[in-house]
Amino acid sequence: MIEFKNVTKGYDKNKSDALKNVSLFIDKGEFVFLVGRSGAGKSTFIKLLLREIEATEGSVYINNFNVSKLSKKEIPFLRRKMGIVFQDFRLLENKSVYENVAYAMEIIGKSEKQIQKRVPLALDMVGLSHRMNHYPHELSGGEQQRVVIARAIINNPSILICDEPTGNLDPETSYEIISILEEINRRGTTVVVVTHDREIVDTMKKRVLTLEDGILKVDDATGRYGYEV
Amino acid sequence: MRQVGTAMKFSSIKTMPRNVVRDTMKSIERNNLMSAASVLSVIAALIILGIFLILTINVQEVTKDVESKLELKIFLQSDFTDTQKETIEQALEKSDLIENVTFESAEEALEKFTVSLEDYAPLLSGYNSENNPMPASFVVRVTDPEDMDEVQTLAMSFEGEGVEYVRYGQEYVEALVSFNKFTNTLSIVVLVVLSMISIFIIYNTIKLTVFARRREIGIMKYVGATNAYIRAPFILEGTLLGLMGAIVAFLIIRITYYYILGLVGGNLFLPVDASLASPDAVMGQLIFFFLLYGGFIGAVGSVFAIRKFLDV
Ligand SMILES: Nc1ncnc2c1ncn2[C@@H]1O[C@H](COP(=O)(O)OP(=O)(O)O)[C@@H](O)[C@H]1O
Ligand SMILES: [Mg+2]
Repeated sequence: MIEFKNVTKGYDKNKSDALKNVSLFIDKGEFVFLVGRSGAGKSTFIKLLLREIEATEGSVYINNFNVSKLSKKEIPFLRRKMGIVFQDFRLLENKSVYENVAYAMEIIGKSEKQIQKRVPLALDMVGLSHRMNHYPHELSGGEQQRVVIARAIINNPSILICDEPTGNLDPETSYEIISILEEINRRGTTVVVVTHDREIVDTMKKRVLTLEDGILKVDDATGRYGYEV
Repeated sequence: MRQVGTAMKFSSIKTMPRNVVRDTMKSIERNNLMSAASVLSVIAALIILGIFLILTINVQEVTKDVESKLELKIFLQSDFTDTQKETIEQALEKSDLIENVTFESAEEALEKFTVSLEDYAPLLSGYNSENNPMPASFVVRVTDPEDMDEVQTLAMSFEGEGVEYVRYGQEYVEALVSFNKFTNTLSIVVLVVLSMISIFIIYNTIKLTVFARRREIGIMKYVGATNAYIRAPFILEGTLLGLMGAIVAFLIIRITYYYILGLVGGNLFLPVDASLASPDAVMGQLIFFFLLYGGFIGAVGSVFAIRKFLDV
């Protein structure tokens, strides 16, 4: 569950705010697209969720916890509730596919046994079992993004956040990635996808939030891309 | 969230060493040039420090040895009265500077002298209590040899009122005390300067490590690694570099020290009968200090680097 209550975020006093009085509610298990032109405030939205930055005004809630009120020490534990997928993948080049995914479990202190059990399952889910021992540079973009998704879901987050997950991929691969995200959502995870990809948004018929210059312009439950290009 | 957090924290600390040690070793390898520079700087610093430390330990040992043998003798006039003797004795015993006072009568002094000159005893046999040439005296041991001067002044205040004169190895004590002070001060100055240099070099090594791993650190943050987990490998790396330097420096010093001791063969060219500290004891102190120091320098260097370059 994600809730924004009158959230405003300004980076610079001399510039207009990146987010302006945004209020929204995303329920547990929802699949939501977040669209908007470059500079509309989409990444700011995600950074607020991850508590990389703090709201200037208003509050952000995740699973009923006020994120703005977390201490620095608690932030890592907030992030363990969320999986994150980036446009530029962010895999470790010197680790194999298996190791990249296992790494996310090591970091939060899972046992070797748990890791050996769960990593193959996650890789299977994204259809990459056969690439387990390959290194990122041996994979296509789509395959790398699948590894990132496997890593993002390996610790069973309740929310999966994707910032332009298909931004660097061709249309066909993009659909494959989106259908993996759909499958993850079907298993109960809340999924938020930031995207520019109008076609995908229109086809999926999911809820669409549209940001324009930091203002939440459209919140369309039936899935139409909220602004004209 | 809080509850879950605590449970996870606990388990992450439990399994941390495995990953941390592996990543740290990789990092030292990857940064081999800077790592080597760090270790070398610690070695250089510790060898210089070690020389000073050995010097200090030995000077202290010699000083202690000499100090324990130092006495101040207050010789009494041949015609001192019992009242004078008592007044002097009381004054001495009241003083905080004095550890103990023993009275040595003229007879005892003669007897001691006779015994010490056993071979010539017949020559001295002509002396008895009637014509004893030896003066009576107070033998004083002071708590701190630096106070010898003051005790002498105190004793001399009774000059002509029972006290004839006072003797102690004045110049020698002064020289020893000031040399001891000098080596102590010098060691501390050297310690501080070299520590700063070593910390700075380790700081730079860890800075490079942090820089080389910044992508990884970013990913760790997103996956929810705690700050302690992120910092641990860097602190471990710095500490390990410091410890490596300490061990190598110790071996070099140990070999050299025993070699030099073998060359001089215990001949110290010292003007007194005093012995050096036992080499094994010196080495024991040295390795203890080196490990502590190397680890500390390494940890401090990395903590500074992390604070500055790892925004966690
Ligand atoms: N760290 C920052 N410092 C200053 N301004 C920023 C920063 N990050 C983003 N902005 C500004 O905030 C606005 C929204 O940016 P962002 O959230 O990245 O948009 P989007 O992801 O939709 O392209 C833009 O005008 C951008 O220039
Ligand atoms: Mg963006």
